[in-house]
Amino acid sequence: MNNQPLNIYLFHCTNSLDTETIRRSLGEREKDHTFKTISLPCSGKLELIYLLKAFESGADGVALVTCKHGECRYLEGNLRAQKRAEAVRAILEEIGLDKERMKLIQQGDGGVQSLIDELDRFIERIRNATAESFESS
Amino acid sequence: MIVAERKKIPELVEMLKGHKKILVLGCGTCVTVCLAGGEREVSIISSALRIASRNSGYDFEIDEMTIERQCDNVFIEQAAEAIAKHDVVLSLGCGAGVQAIAERYSEKPVYAGLNTSFLGVLEERGVWTEKCSACGSCVLHKYGGICPITRCAKHMLNGPCGGSREDRCEVRPDRPCAWQLIYRRLKGIGELDRLKNIEAVKDWSTSLDGGVRMLIREDHRI
Repeated sequence: MNNQPLNIYLFHCTNSLDTETIRRSLGEREKDHTFKTISLPCSGKLELIYLLKAFESGADGVALVTCKHGECRYLEGNLRAQKRAEAVRAILEEIGLDKERMKLIQQGDGGVQSLIDELDRFIERIRNATAESFESS
Repeated sequence: MIVAERKKIPELVEMLKGHKKILVLGCGTCVTVCLAGGEREVSIISSALRIASRNSGYDFEIDEMTIERQCDNVFIEQAAEAIAKHDVVLSLGCGAGVQAIAERYSEKPVYAGLNTSFLGVLEERGVWTEKCSACGSCVLHKYGGICPITRCAKHMLNGPCGGSREDRCEVRPDRPCAWQLIYRRLKGIGELDRLKNIEAVKDWSTSLDGGVRMLIREDHRI
């Protein structure tokens, strides 16, 4: 089993979640992995290059947290963010990286806990993918 | 404007392998507007190439630059210093821009990072459509401003072909029939009589026939 610490970049919209709440909720996870949280005034502010730069800087996975569907303060910011995340997934695939390293997490009714659960599944998936590529190399 | 789209990253990596110092050179005109080769796309493609390079064990050192126009020597000059410092230029200009850079720097490999697609317009956000074939002898005035050479899949000057279904082209059902558009437009401007004329076979000598076309304006050459 590969227990190597992962570099996870977490972009999030400040209208749905503040950085302090995320960091507090990450709790013990921050001992196992490195999390870099980047807050945005709206997820629609996100440009493709922000996400690619995260991977270029060594991110093992990038999660983008947006507001719930239909609840963007600026109406369509989360829809734009979703399109950009899809574009980055396509580029990762072209490059030959697992596109699942780019994850869009839409806030649901479950609050921050459902976000953390989703993040745990995301980390587990990257950990398994990293272990597989490590074993096959 | 000229519309282009970027080549896929594996194709670019294949093109660039064997080189180390790479300058990704953008163009601030048409390809910026069609979101293919402007400053933003230069940074995206450069970043993707850096990740791909690391992933595939190549040792690319990539720098970025964008000039106002790659098809104009005045602006090309601004890139001279940067080009001199690199082994190869990956141009994100249109086909004309790539060739202009290659001609100006004859000892430097210059590669095309884009596929130049067509002359077109922005229809809506993120959607471009071909409108002009640059045939060199414009007939738009005869067809209500809609080009049958470019927009009719069969390039018919005396249409319609009869194959369209519910305003849609039979060759590409997702596209409108150009002749339907021409009819509506001519009717709208009261020039339907134009359709009674039989257009003679087009003289293609102004197009790609006979080699490279040139335009010389003597009044601007002093």
